[in-house]
Amino acid sequence: MHRIPSSSYLGPGGLDFSKSFFTPINGSDCPSRSKHNTKITVVGVGNVGMAISQIILTQNLADELILLGVNPDKLRGEMLDLQHASAFLPRTKIRASVDYDATADSDLCIITAGARQKSDESRLDLLHRNVAVYKKIVPQLAAYSPEAILLVVSNPVDVLSYVAWKLSGFPVNRVIGSGTNLDSSRFRFLIADHLEVNAHDVQAYIVGEHGDSSVALWSSISVAGVPILRFLHQNQIACEKKTLENIHKEVVQSAYEVIRLKGCTSWAIGYSVASLARTLLRDQRQIHPVSILVDGLYGIEGGQVFLSLPAMLGRKGVLGITNISLSDEETQQLRNSAKTLLEAQAQVKDFIN
Amino acid sequence: MHKTPSSSYLGPGGLDLSKSFFTPIAGVEPPSPTKRRTKITVVGVGNVGMAIAQTILTQDLADELVLVDANSEKLRGEMLDLQHAAAFLPRTKIHAAVDYDATAHSDLCIITAGARQKPGESRLDLLQRNVSIFKKIVPPLAAYSPETIILVVSNPVDVLTYAAWRFSRFPANRVIGSGTNLDSSRFRFLIADHLDVNAQDVQAYIVGEHGDSSVALWSSISVGGVPILSFLQRQQITYEKKTLENIHREVVESAYEVIRLKGYTSWAIGYSVASLARSLLRDQRRIHPVSVLVNGVQGIDCGNVFLSLPAMLGRGGVMGITNVHLSEEEAEKLKKSAKTLLEVQEKLDYLLG
Repeated sequence: MHRIPSSSYLGPGGLDFSKSFFTPINGSDCPSRSKHNTKITVVGVGNVGMAISQIILTQNLADELILLGVNPDKLRGEMLDLQHASAFLPRTKIRASVDYDATADSDLCIITAGARQKSDESRLDLLHRNVAVYKKIVPQLAAYSPEAILLVVSNPVDVLSYVAWKLSGFPVNRVIGSGTNLDSSRFRFLIADHLEVNAHDVQAYIVGEHGDSSVALWSSISVAGVPILRFLHQNQIACEKKTLENIHKEVVQSAYEVIRLKGCTSWAIGYSVASLARTLLRDQRQIHPVSILVDGLYGIEGGQVFLSLPAMLGRKGVLGITNISLSDEETQQLRNSAKTLLEAQAQVKDFIN
Repeated sequence: MHKTPSSSYLGPGGLDLSKSFFTPIAGVEPPSPTKRRTKITVVGVGNVGMAIAQTILTQDLADELVLVDANSEKLRGEMLDLQHAAAFLPRTKIHAAVDYDATAHSDLCIITAGARQKPGESRLDLLQRNVSIFKKIVPPLAAYSPETIILVVSNPVDVLTYAAWRFSRFPANRVIGSGTNLDSSRFRFLIADHLDVNAQDVQAYIVGEHGDSSVALWSSISVGGVPILSFLQRQQITYEKKTLENIHREVVESAYEVIRLKGYTSWAIGYSVASLARSLLRDQRRIHPVSVLVNGVQGIDCGNVFLSLPAMLGRGGVMGITNVHLSEEEAEKLKKSAKTLLEVQEKLDYLLG
């Protein structure tokens, strides 16, 4: 990719002092191909895409960041706004483009693009519109970066992860949806805040569909190694099933609450996806609840479906799904979630081809 | 400040795990007042305020972050969106309030609040509106945090920093305006990009009024220790004064360009102010071009006025103004800037009493 000068007055035709400023060492070789830069592409520069991009930049997760979108003015504005902070950040090459050739050889492609639900629109209609958007995006991304990991953020994330998988032709370990990674963080925040303990010491997963039929794995929640349900039992703290359901519902509702209050959500999903990016690119082998292909697990029948389960992530993408033990009720809820998603997938199957 | 529960269903009245979960050690003393935490208040939760708040959070600069604004719904939405990322961040207490008692004992108060220019409105009218807003904000901030450092970001920053100084009655080392810190970063970015070198190796200051009459200190620019103007001379690279003026104007224009392209600027000012926050709170003794009281400095003796000069910042605020060498022309431009600002301040005297 040839360099585009940032100033009209500095460089050929203007004031050019670059040629004599530095003297290369005699006999230098060119950087070998294995001296690879970590390159992340973010597709979509709305509130979510930009929050993700900016946090990735602040956390120094990439050497190269590509912003891809359809609106060239907005793209250029966002790129400039990030570049202007150069004096305060480690050096990261930042580019913005409407064309996919700029994304070539990305290590990670994060897709946030997609239509927002119109007030009178059904979820299915929204899904059809977004499948059409993905048909334009995914094949090109995959063609230019055949080794990349695809990370889907757009909603409905589970079905769109399935769509991205089909459209890319990628092996299943390299297509992941952000899924319930953020729901689980919200869940951990509520519990941590109640106990006034650090959220990192709270292990709690919400799995299944990222949406109304998600499943809170109460049987797996522990704080500093203390399983919560057993703790309640040992301390004879009565707990109604309804209360647990209400807490779970509060987690699901909190996303809608933020949208109602400030118009969108951005920061939390930004940190959530940056956390996934770090685990993947730095081969951290950490377990995150993310949307992955589950076929035949937990008695889920009816075909291939993407939904969230705790999975170990690393440089190769999904390294494995954790064999977490579910209660009978949780297993049933998960199967119900899967059924809902399979129905939605069936309705877009024809659109994908 | 008493705790506001985050969940309706976790805690007294709902599922209460907290009482028996942790056993305190016998004979524990209450935390002593010297075991204080670093607390930052951000006033104004628009695009700039939130970019600053979020960058501060990611860079782990505070133990406590307070968001203040007049719009309680937007406030709550932004607070929740940050809290929901708890699983991905070091633990920071985040509060949001419309009242100033929540800001008590802040180490740093960052003011981004202010009216935006209405079409057809004169700069003076806008200024009068913003000074009235500061009259409501600054006295309670100062009353609740008498030891704090006030950092003004709202525009026009130099005059508003003067207003904040008057309203707070703080010593001048503890009232600072973000000034030309960002302009200088943009300047460094253009030069660094031209040379394909890291922006942190480019030393370049834009000083004076943050605005159209800012002054580029060409005589002080150096890259990796090489002063640029003498380099050009040695290499016999000719340049016209007009070219230097064009490059400077490009820096000033780039802010307007970002606003035209994406609607506002946010990320760069966020990083810029977070960088100032770090220098101040961590006593870094770094030099930043920021808006400070310059009466009696660099030949400016027309009265009390705030404008940007390179100043060393640390835990005590402004530790000193660097005695940077100005060419005759640069010194003249600076004096003119000061006179213009003084005239504007005089027109606002009736509000500042």
